[in-house]
Amino acid sequence: MAETEKIEVRDVTRIERIGAHSHIRGLGLDDVLEARLVSQGMVGQKDARRAAGVVVQMVREGKIAGRCILLAGEPSTGKTAIAVGMAQALGTETPFTSMSGSEIYSLEMSKTEALSQALRKSIGVRIKEETEIIEGEVVEIQIERPASGTGQKVGKVTLKTTEMETNYDLGNKIIECFMKEKIQAGDVITIDKASGKVNKLGRSFTRARDYDATGAQTRFVQCPEGELQKRKEVVHTVTLHEIDVINSRTHGFLALFSGDTGEIKQEVRDQINNKVLEWREEGKAEINPGVLFIDEVHMLDIECFSFLNRALESDMAPVVVMATNRGITRIRGTNYRSPHGIPIDLLDRMIIIRTVPYSEKEVKEILKIRCEEEDCIMHPDALTILTRIATDTSLRYAIQLITTANLVCRRRKATEVNTEDVKKVYSLFLDENRSSKILKEYQDDYMFSEITEEVERDPAAGGGAKRRVEGGGGDAQPMEH
Amino acid sequence: MSYQNWLNYLQAAEKNSMISGRARKVLYKFPDGRQMAEEYNMDTGIVQRRAWKSKSNKIMGESEWEIELGDEPRQLNWSGNKPPGSGEETDSLAGGDFTLRESNTAPLLTKRITKKNIEWRIRNMPYSLDTYSVTADPEKRAIVVRTSNKKYYKVIPVPELDRCGVKPAQESLSVHHQFNTLIITYQKPDILCEMEAQVLLLLKNVDTETDMDDLLKGLMAK
Repeated sequence: MAETEKIEVRDVTRIERIGAHSHIRGLGLDDVLEARLVSQGMVGQKDARRAAGVVVQMVREGKIAGRCILLAGEPSTGKTAIAVGMAQALGTETPFTSMSGSEIYSLEMSKTEALSQALRKSIGVRIKEETEIIEGEVVEIQIERPASGTGQKVGKVTLKTTEMETNYDLGNKIIECFMKEKIQAGDVITIDKASGKVNKLGRSFTRARDYDATGAQTRFVQCPEGELQKRKEVVHTVTLHEIDVINSRTHGFLALFSGDTGEIKQEVRDQINNKVLEWREEGKAEINPGVLFIDEVHMLDIECFSFLNRALESDMAPVVVMATNRGITRIRGTNYRSPHGIPIDLLDRMIIIRTVPYSEKEVKEILKIRCEEEDCIMHPDALTILTRIATDTSLRYAIQLITTANLVCRRRKATEVNTEDVKKVYSLFLDENRSSKILKEYQDDYMFSEITEEVERDPAAGGGAKRRVEGGGGDAQPMEH
Repeated sequence: MSYQNWLNYLQAAEKNSMISGRARKVLYKFPDGRQMAEEYNMDTGIVQRRAWKSKSNKIMGESEWEIELGDEPRQLNWSGNKPPGSGEETDSLAGGDFTLRESNTAPLLTKRITKKNIEWRIRNMPYSLDTYSVTADPEKRAIVVRTSNKKYYKVIPVPELDRCGVKPAQESLSVHHQFNTLIITYQKPDILCEMEAQVLLLLKNVDTETDMDDLLKGLMAK
């Protein structure tokens, strides 16, 4: 008995961590795509949200390929929030790939390869397939393992329907599945014959009285009828990238362990495209185009932009949503300046959604939502002060203060955050404005301050204050030579 | 009540033929992408084995043969998932390298065609004859085997009868049980025999090294 407990996979309740955008559950639009003021975690930004709603509708219809949408706006005006909202509104069926512009600079993979993988991750394919499954009620299950504890396990299972009964021998892999699913006599299960996937449908009605107490989630089902082996049509949803990876493993199973896919040959991709199109003709597969979201798109360089220009023309391209907080700035990899750091020819293919800074009332709403998300009860006065801080400094800084003020409040064993707590954390943690002010004042006391020309050339080196004032003019981004 | 459709279907296929041992093997490639392989006994002109391969649904690689008729070439350490002979892993299977297979005591169904009958044998069936109820189900176009002790149930489709548009009839069925085996015999209707003769005539025109007349003689002498 002790043995079985050891191998049991312990089910730990997963702790949901709270991320920057975990309060967003959708775009907060009503049926006619009008934005509600406060809904699904979204506040304000009505025009941008309405525009995003139209884009979502376009993606849902799935007819149009290779469109490009740019979310442009100042920092912390909710560009990423709108993208997350779009992902939520589209649901889990539609692939939504989120990446940051700097993700493509990997040493293992070329930039264009990273981009094409991201593009292909955003195209889903629904494949209808007939597979053989075994569906029945477990009459008896035996798993023997060697006394030494390691080595081959031997398993047997007897399954029945209302009409018949069959014994099966179990392979090693499927024994693991059985133990993971905790299959026992009386369960009704299905086994996919090809993949060996085991699925528990519930417990049989005839076994309903085995135990006095059952968990709330125990489902009772009828014992299946007819033959044990059935042919069923199943629908898989995979992305083109997954099909690519599976078919590009020419090096055998070793590639499975290393995990990285390396470069996938264009021939493989072409072949897969053809096959998928062929399936679509035959009605076996449906193409389900999704969304690729590239945050901080100004971090892409000129090569990537021209690659995107070409890639978006393919009829297998997804809808691409980009976000940037830059104004007129240099295109990475060139000396040319361009709006949003994106070449004009690509900008020409885009529709641009602008996000505007939040009003004070909206900021208060957002802070309220964040408080709820972080389980923090805040006194209205404290909230007003925090709103004030947010308008003076930045929304992100104010959100940071919620967490810290909550901790301070708990230290003094109170349940509600009051103005004192907020004031305390405001003095404890500097915002970026104050920090750079201090830096400017005490510049001479810091290290290397004697190298004067360095200081003159780049006065904003210490903090972001200068850059912020300049708005989008920044040449501050690093440039490779 | 006509086998014309089936004949047309065979006619349209690209056919290849070869002789190995006392058997003539024919491979049909149909315009819809399916393939069929048949093996005829050279002495009797009776089809011994028939298998189908549907159009490949995988991106790379082929789908596998499904056996409609005749014995599956069985081996020790049979995998149950992969038909033996598909290469790789045949010898590593003893180490439990399969996902799932029916235990070797489970009933095993095979089908055979003789001159006058279609026969099914279900091996590993130890129960006495009165346990079984074998019925022809014209609705399902199949033969249904039931057991009163709820140990075995099988719907057996009869594609031959479908091909000539006949529904299975209870009168043509007979059942025997001996040596742990249940034998179901279905007497072929005349139209089916006629269809088989027509198919053989069709195959006469397919190039092979041997003379088809030999093969036909056996059948016509019936």
